[in-house]
Amino acid sequence: MAGLKTIIALSFVLAIGFLLVILSSALWHNYFPLLVVATYVVAPLPNWLCGHAANPDDFMESSGSGIVDFGRFLTGFLVVMGIALPALLAHCAIIQTPAMVMSIIGGLLIYGTIISFTLFFQEEAEF
Amino acid sequence: MSSHRLFRFPKPQWLNNANARTFGVYTAGALFSLGFYILIDAAAYSKSALNGSDPAVHITFVDWIPGICSALGMLVINSIDKSRLSADSFSYSGNGVAWKARLVLFLGFALMAGGLAGAVTVLVLKYVVPEYVWPTLWMGTANVVANGCVMLSSVVLWVAQNMEDEYTYNLAL
Repeated sequence: MAGLKTIIALSFVLAIGFLLVILSSALWHNYFPLLVVATYVVAPLPNWLCGHAANPDDFMESSGSGIVDFGRFLTGFLVVMGIALPALLAHCAIIQTPAMVMSIIGGLLIYGTIISFTLFFQEEAEF
Repeated sequence: MSSHRLFRFPKPQWLNNANARTFGVYTAGALFSLGFYILIDAAAYSKSALNGSDPAVHITFVDWIPGICSALGMLVINSIDKSRLSADSFSYSGNGVAWKARLVLFLGFALMAGGLAGAVTVLVLKYVVPEYVWPTLWMGTANVVANGCVMLSSVVLWVAQNMEDEYTYNLAL
């Protein structure tokens, strides 16, 4: 049962994630790792939008799920982008390697929070 | 439906699962992202301070052409409705739909194979023949790896979309 403890734990994890990402930027005075936050906030959006755009009642038209697939494709793209972007920046010596590690871990924590939040509170919205 | 199957072994059951299909589409997006960012990485590396090649070697538009071809081929292949490939067996479909679908699909596969071959060509002609060593060689290798990732992504997406038909068929019954 998703209750108060879940909300507290999730907000705690979200705060740690933001702390790591902001620290990875501010410690080296280089604010490129903040892009990771933007990526992970945008990542669930295509899935959600395309899920609303598709017509779920249409059983006869099998091509109706194409737009849902496109949303999933974009979400997969964005999730990997959140890991690949710090790795790219570190490989090209734009940010330091510790900053890369911190921003990747922080970004994964933020995305995990968003995903588990929607998982926990999805049930109540449907009924 | 199963009586029309070509191969002797039955299709594994998990292939018809909706979760496997969803997972396949996510994986395709992830692979495409990996390829795209490896390409971007090579371009960023070319302009970064780490690029210590003595006669300076940079990523030019030539290095981008294979990636553009592969991405276009992927777009063409996956925007075709797969059920149109066998449309000739239906009497109500218009004349030559399957033929047109096969032609467009052939163009898509040609673009994609051309992208991979072009990446190898750029690697050999621009980086291997002048005998550049490793950190510079990465710019050419990244091109091949990126095009391979795009191709793999397209394969995964194709397989995942072909799972769809029988699943929706079961759902409709």
